[in-house]
Amino acid sequence: MSILKAVINAFRKTPDTVKYPYGPLVIPKGFRGAIVIDTEKCSGCGLCVRDCPAAGLELIKESRQDYQLIHYPARCAYCGQCEDSCARGAISHSNDLVEPTYDSDEWVVVLKHQSGD
Amino acid sequence: MNKISIPIGPQHPLLKEPLTMNIDISGERVLGGTLRLGYVHRGIERLAQQKTYVQNVHLIERICGICSHVHTTTFCHAVETLLGIDVPIRAQYIRALMCELERVHSHLLWLGIIAKHVGLDTIFMHTWHDRELALDIMEEVSGGRVSHAANQIGGVRFDLSQEQEAMIRKTVNDLSDKANTLMDVIENEPVLQARTKGVAPLSAETIKNYCVVGPVARASGVDVDMRRDHPPPPYDRLTFNVITRQDGDAWARTVVRAEETRETLKLCHTILDEMPDGPVSVRAPRKVPEGEVVVRSEAPRGELLYYLRSDGSENPARLKVRTPTLPALNLIPKQLSAIHVADIPVVMAGVDLCIACADR
Ligand code: SF4
Ligand code: SF4
Repeated sequence: MSILKAVINAFRKTPDTVKYPYGPLVIPKGFRGAIVIDTEKCSGCGLCVRDCPAAGLELIKESRQDYQLIHYPARCAYCGQCEDSCARGAISHSNDLVEPTYDSDEWVVVLKHQSGD
Repeated sequence: MNKISIPIGPQHPLLKEPLTMNIDISGERVLGGTLRLGYVHRGIERLAQQKTYVQNVHLIERICGICSHVHTTTFCHAVETLLGIDVPIRAQYIRALMCELERVHSHLLWLGIIAKHVGLDTIFMHTWHDRELALDIMEEVSGGRVSHAANQIGGVRFDLSQEQEAMIRKTVNDLSDKANTLMDVIENEPVLQARTKGVAPLSAETIKNYCVVGPVARASGVDVDMRRDHPPPPYDRLTFNVITRQDGDAWARTVVRAEETRETLKLCHTILDEMPDGPVSVRAPRKVPEGEVVVRSEAPRGELLYYLRSDGSENPARLKVRTPTLPALNLIPKQLSAIHVADIPVVMAGVDLCIACADR
């Protein structure tokens, strides 16, 4: 009998499903979305690269003044470890969803390019 | 009548994860069956030896998509024991809260699956809707719906604000009402009873012989629960009831999980009531001193055991994970006899399969 009650109740309710992408999507404040960087704060120390569990980051370093910090969004596990490990608070998760891609190998984001000259 | 052998899997609509079953039938009767596992073996234990402890927390989280948090909690507890550091009490409570919410969503997921397998799609829809509420809490506080990344060695990575605590209490109350209704439905649902009562009963002796743990063992009268028997902190300070039944059939397993959902929701309130203020993490060294440790905890599917050996470096020398579903899987061939073909899904679902956990 209670299942009948539940069915009747269901008629009174609006659907629970979200209309995304045709309607808005409420994302929690602390959602671990796309990786962003504050280039002013990043010093190229590589702490984030050392602790990244998924090889999602790479630091190509010629010298203290000449380095590139690269992010591979398709490898990234969105675990937040880089944000935790960065002592300067430079790298973090934004609230944005990461778009899907067909070309995961080619997906390379240069987070910071510090050039010597 | 002739014996026919039917191969099911590794890809099959009945299965949510890959495994192969060869089932021998004669007419409508099942004569027996065999299982083959290993399709989702990812070599996680070996991989863990090549990664640092910090990285391993995230690797371990990916052993399972349902009980990811209890895996990291147990791993962190093992590392912290070797390090000899005391995790702040608030962090222990936040960990326990996440573990219990995980149990709620895991049991609701299972109840939905068993209902679907016996043809009660309405219950499936309702339990899976309710499960989302528990997942919403976890996503709200941790930032991830499935991989919560809540733990770090030395504590947890976030604190709960007062608004979040209030939101959790409200949702847990809401879920308790829904769990009561669900229990009422389950107890009075003739179809569910007709399809599960007396199906594939397991005696307490068989359970012990096969080292089966968790709700499957408790449904056969084996009263084991690591939260009570070997309590990791803070369970030594918490009081709760361990639900058991004696019948050992698919019905008893259903009732145990449904009752446990209600009990777990009560425990969530207790955790929130008793949670002290304070810090949520302490700094942990990267290198772990030489030694070995065994840590046990109660995952939604039963006892989870971690063995960790350290050689003093940044990487574990050996990590062994014993997940609760593997022994239960060994029992499936035994249960696949003297049942009807239509009971196969009930038997399969009854042990709450988690192939990803079992294969690792
Ligand atoms: S993001 Fe932070 S941790 Fe990574 S290189 Fe820059 S400063 Fe270092
Ligand atoms: S979120 Fe995790 S996987 Fe992604 S770049 Fe940061 S540390 Fe690596």
